[in-house]
Amino acid sequence: MYEQRFDGRKFDELRKIEAEVGVVPNAKGSARFRIGNTEAIAAVYGPDEVKPRHFEKMDRAVLMVKYDMMPFSVPDRAKPGIDRRDMEIAEVLMNALNRAIMVEEFPQMMININVYVTQADAGTRCASLTAASMACADAGLPMRDLVASVAGGKIGDSVVLDLTKEEEDFEGGATDVPMAFLPSKGEILLLQLDGKVSKEDLKKVIELGKEGAQKIYEIEREALKRRFSNESKS
Amino acid sequence: MSIEGDQYLRETAKEGMRLDDRKPLERRAITLNTHVINHSDGSSSVEIGKTRVIAGVKVLPAEPFPDKPNDGALIVNFEASDLASGYPIDRILYSVEVGRVTDRGIRESQLIDTKKLCIEPGKKVLFVYVDVFTINNDGNLLDTANMAALAALLDAKYKPNENSEPVPVPLNKANIAISSTFVKIGDTIFMDPNRLEEDAADARLTVGVGDGINSLQKGGSGFFTLDEVMQCVDNAFIAKSDILKMLKV
Repeated sequence: MYEQRFDGRKFDELRKIEAEVGVVPNAKGSARFRIGNTEAIAAVYGPDEVKPRHFEKMDRAVLMVKYDMMPFSVPDRAKPGIDRRDMEIAEVLMNALNRAIMVEEFPQMMININVYVTQADAGTRCASLTAASMACADAGLPMRDLVASVAGGKIGDSVVLDLTKEEEDFEGGATDVPMAFLPSKGEILLLQLDGKVSKEDLKKVIELGKEGAQKIYEIEREALKRRFSNESKS
Repeated sequence: MSIEGDQYLRETAKEGMRLDDRKPLERRAITLNTHVINHSDGSSSVEIGKTRVIAGVKVLPAEPFPDKPNDGALIVNFEASDLASGYPIDRILYSVEVGRVTDRGIRESQLIDTKKLCIEPGKKVLFVYVDVFTINNDGNLLDTANMAALAALLDAKYKPNENSEPVPVPLNKANIAISSTFVKIGDTIFMDPNRLEEDAADARLTVGVGDGINSLQKGGSGFFTLDEVMQCVDNAFIAKSDILKMLKV
């Protein structure tokens, strides 16, 4: 049984969120997204010439996504460099962003999207995807909508939103469901599940995720608005 | 940068002028924050102008190297992350040099007494990892990385045993070496180059000073005269006392 969350949140409550764009001034676009103790920084470069050339697509842009964890982001030390987990996450981020960005506008071009996790406390792929989508918007890429991503899940018998690491490791069993949405269209762009849930619970988890994503979406938009209103002043 | 831009920078350099209105030997503003990463034993974020790096320290138990059974180790690892460059190839050009100079500057100044990192001779020692990551590169990563690594080490606390109180990493603070970088454009020496100045420069000199001169690294295909080298060294000593004050040593 899991009746009271470790950090005292309500079951449908998100952790504290900070969102900021323009954190890498020399990149085309960039963003930092922090949810609780999980933080990701994303930088976007391009559209640019495709290197190496054989990746080139005649009808649309190629997205090159990199996801990496900084060595000091986890309690042990994460070895520098890309491992299999990093590659898998880069792949699912790429799939989601391919739908969000209007890649067909840039045939034979490449867009580099690099995401680093500075601190990890569960939900790193969701934070990374949210940061990446804000960075793409900051870079001025044409997009169908911003991506808002959050994890939901089931801990004991309770359906919860935005799990922490401590909750993922809950002794009574925990199921983690990372999700990502295009909020204005209701499209689900990322969906993974680890553990075991019933059909009814899955529906509840996704609905809860959708509500959470809506809140994240508002925060993303606020951050972007802030950035561009600041720019017009200076 | 474009050829025209390079030419313009070289023209203004003759008069000792800089695009950001600094004097030739004036540094950009430095911002230092510590304690920025929860999971690390010590961390820092350093901004010099728009250049920004973050550093994190981890103190982890390990088996000693066979040739040094009573010594821990200090490992400084620098990553010119992909955040700061569009194409991976861009960063390979400088990441190796910056990484090696940063690592050498800190290890060779004998900042840490590695004997004090021994827990059980021949069996268990402590490795101090310093990981430095670039967030934004607007020139002079060398000095930024050096300062961030030092600030993170000074901030670091670890528990020698499970139940003991956290203690600071054993540093010989008198040995701290501070790095200062200069570039030469035409015949003029500029301190703390930004990225445009780095790209236009003929030569670069990085001077690490503690009590004496701890490290030197010349880069670029241009040259320095003896007088110019001494001028850089003198300014590096002046910069050192300012930066030590910021690091609160």
